[in-house]
Amino acid sequence: MARFAFIVPPLTGHVNPTLSLGAELLQRGHRVAWISLDASLITRLPKYGELLLVEYDQDDADKKNSEEYLDQITKKNVSGIESIKFLYEDVLIPLNRFMFDGILTQLENFKPDVVINDHQLFAGAIAAYKRRIPYATSVTAPAAIKMMDDLPGVHEWEMKQITGLQQELGIPGDKGIVCSEALTMVFTSKDFFGDMRLPGFYRFVGPVIRNRSVISGFNWERFNSMKQPRILVSIGTTFDHCYKKEFFGKVIEAFADEALSVVVVSDEQLFEKWPDNFIVSERVPQLELLPHLDAVVCHGGHNTVSETLLHGLPLVVIPIAYDQSHVAGRVVSAGSGIRLNYRRFKANHLKDAVYGVLQDPSYKIAAELIQRSFEEAGGAAAAATMLEELISRHESYGVPGSQAFYRNRFYH
Amino acid sequence: MDAITTQKKLNSEEIFAILKGFITEVIGEEFVEDMDISRESSFTRDLEMDSIEIVSFSEKVKAHFGEHIDFTGWLSGMDLDQLINLTLDHIIKYIESCQSSK
Repeated sequence: MARFAFIVPPLTGHVNPTLSLGAELLQRGHRVAWISLDASLITRLPKYGELLLVEYDQDDADKKNSEEYLDQITKKNVSGIESIKFLYEDVLIPLNRFMFDGILTQLENFKPDVVINDHQLFAGAIAAYKRRIPYATSVTAPAAIKMMDDLPGVHEWEMKQITGLQQELGIPGDKGIVCSEALTMVFTSKDFFGDMRLPGFYRFVGPVIRNRSVISGFNWERFNSMKQPRILVSIGTTFDHCYKKEFFGKVIEAFADEALSVVVVSDEQLFEKWPDNFIVSERVPQLELLPHLDAVVCHGGHNTVSETLLHGLPLVVIPIAYDQSHVAGRVVSAGSGIRLNYRRFKANHLKDAVYGVLQDPSYKIAAELIQRSFEEAGGAAAAATMLEELISRHESYGVPGSQAFYRNRFYH
Repeated sequence: MDAITTQKKLNSEEIFAILKGFITEVIGEEFVEDMDISRESSFTRDLEMDSIEIVSFSEKVKAHFGEHIDFTGWLSGMDLDQLINLTLDHIIKYIESCQSSK
């Protein structure tokens, strides 16, 4: 039995894959904890999973209210390349700086054998590195890696923000350490990710998806009585701002009284009345719904796209910000969907795109190819084995723990 | 993609017309009709192009001017702020400077 500690940001898309992977590790008899700022995570952890909350004495004037970071990303309306600047300068760097001390404290408490840091939780890698604990990195938004190829200047800018933080927290030098050279798990398949030369420590394990939690209150009876084809429209959890109204306004215009049914993930109060062929719910049991759907319209969040493709369904992707443009680019390159520009699209474009992916079988065929590549990538079981190997690799040096790992990092 | 067959130097109006054509190809004709594309237009704010659209625009520029200019290299050297503020005029001036150094 070993101890694993996931260090995660308060972002659903980044946390969900770790829940599935953690469940697999727990099932294998390990102790598994999550280090997070988000106290509500406890309700979503797999059985026997432990929550190690990063929290500070309220009197500590230097530490800002953690809620601020949670709020920032949901309230701000940013799009395009500018959103990357916002993400790093206003969210990621301050969030990591804020979490660092708390992570160190929790690492001392829990004494993990292996730390798994989210690729945007730089402070997790920095803390593990400083405490000489072996760490692996979980890349829950793989499209971000694509930035190296697509826009190298932007990637360098990102690295500069990260190494700046590393230096501030006591790791000198210009070399980024936040993606572990021992193991960086990428939660997609090589086929979907596309051609790109990467060092061997990037391992493609496919999406890890598990039936997460029971969502009650969804009107299955009504859903089952609605006519086919059926589509789901979701723009994820991070864009909870007024632009939702504009977005869903176009969705209504596109599909009201059309010969299809639309499941919308949204606050029902957003509009006084929704068309009769719509079913609106703030939370939907997405994984249970997917087998009964024909296509998905989404913002290009990595998890929703992965879940959709894992069910072999075509997509219409409308990327809003961050890495979503790159995710949408992959969907199109794979032939599994159509992308629209969030700023420019009008109702008729959405309508044409949805009928396009529904009626032209090539989109579904391409989606099914990606589905197969996902299934073959190994998922949570493969990832859990890689993490276990990290311990044995590290122990086989016969030196008390992390010293060997430390050397290994540079010389393997 | 048309390759340049002659070494003829293009003036800035001609370069602007070519670039505008590429923008139209990337974002679609019907959207361009509603837009006022000028030399001062910035890709991110004015044209509202996202990163993948900028990448595919740059691929078109590269394919067209490939032998004459290192457009990808030039774009790669840009950091985030420069990219956010990138206008058509910057690209025109860069292409002109490459032509005059031949």
